Amino acid sequence: MIRRFEIYSVQAQAPDRRVLALETACRRCGQFIPEVLHTAVGWNLSDAPAELVWEHAFDSAETYRRYMVHPYHADVLDRYLLPDSPERVVADNDLRAGLVGYACDGPVFVMAGGVRRLVLLRVGRDASPTQIDHLVSVLGDAPAEVDDLTLSVAGANTLGSAWFDAETPIGGRPFWGYLWEQGFRTGDALDAYLDGPSALALAERREWKGIMDDIVEAAVSVHYVIDAPRPQPG
Amino acid sequence: MPYVVDTVEVTPQLLALYLEAVKTVGLAVMTDAGARFVSCATTSIDVGENVDVQIIWFFDDHDQWNVIRRNLVLDPRWYEYAQRTAALRRGGTRRIYHPVAFSSS
Repeated sequence: MIRRFEIYSVQAQAPDRRVLALETACRRCGQFIPEVLHTAVGWNLSDAPAELVWEHAFDSAETYRRYMVHPYHADVLDRYLLPDSPERVVADNDLRAGLVGYACDGPVFVMAGGVRRLVLLRVGRDASPTQIDHLVSVLGDAPAEVDDLTLSVAGANTLGSAWFDAETPIGGRPFWGYLWEQGFRTGDALDAYLDGPSALALAERREWKGIMDDIVEAAVSVHYVIDAPRPQPG
Repeated sequence: MPYVVDTVEVTPQLLALYLEAVKTVGLAVMTDAGARFVSCATTSIDVGENVDVQIIWFFDDHDQWNVIRRNLVLDPRWYEYAQRTAALRRGGTRRIYHPVAFSSS
């Protein structure tokens, strides 16, 4: 299975009706492209320079490719996304994570609701496969250590470069090489984790310095209430 | 054969700059990516209102559009073109049209 996230900033001057149209287009995507599974939209509540997060998944690279060539993709979604479209509502940002995703054995990321957090990790080029395997393993096993964490999945950001067909890397290595997807029942549970005593929370607060052989060079996260509507200004 | 139809609103004062961007950058970027140019036309200029510019491209099918889109994503000129034209327009729409059976094109 392929887990995928599109993460966008929204233009400050974008008309609300058009932003809502993009949000709706993402939410309804699976109705028109049956290959698009587990769709949800969230509005980022972290300090990262991003607002809209569209999470979804595909059964395989083959179904991903069918999504890529589906008319709904070009006719509707791209209307609001492509840089040269007169109806674009998203904006460039410094997050370097417009499209990210990882492979997994099944829908291990599914949550009935609550708060999703996605941590983007930049792992140093010198990190060995053993060190990386250890990192991914520790992150994946996190719920055993952290009560507030109901879900934790980590994987290489394969879609960051293989965005065209989910198999062939295009361009260089993605800036964020690994993804750590977390789930919490509530925002309070997320806060309790972030402020709590677990080794992983401590690692995050220390920006991963002095931990796991220092292979994590940088991290940033987005989090959102799954399928909550867009927060209104003020 | 689908058509990409961009209808863009610009002020009369910026029309020449907009068309210059389409002619000198947009045509090359789009055709190099694989899209085919159909036409560029405007509404009347001296009628006391903003001008609509309609630019039409066509492509074989959505498989080809997927390749065109990939080529655009990988072309730095596309982003420059997008920024340049975004600064010149007041608004607009993008729609993809599919010819009906009795239409010759």
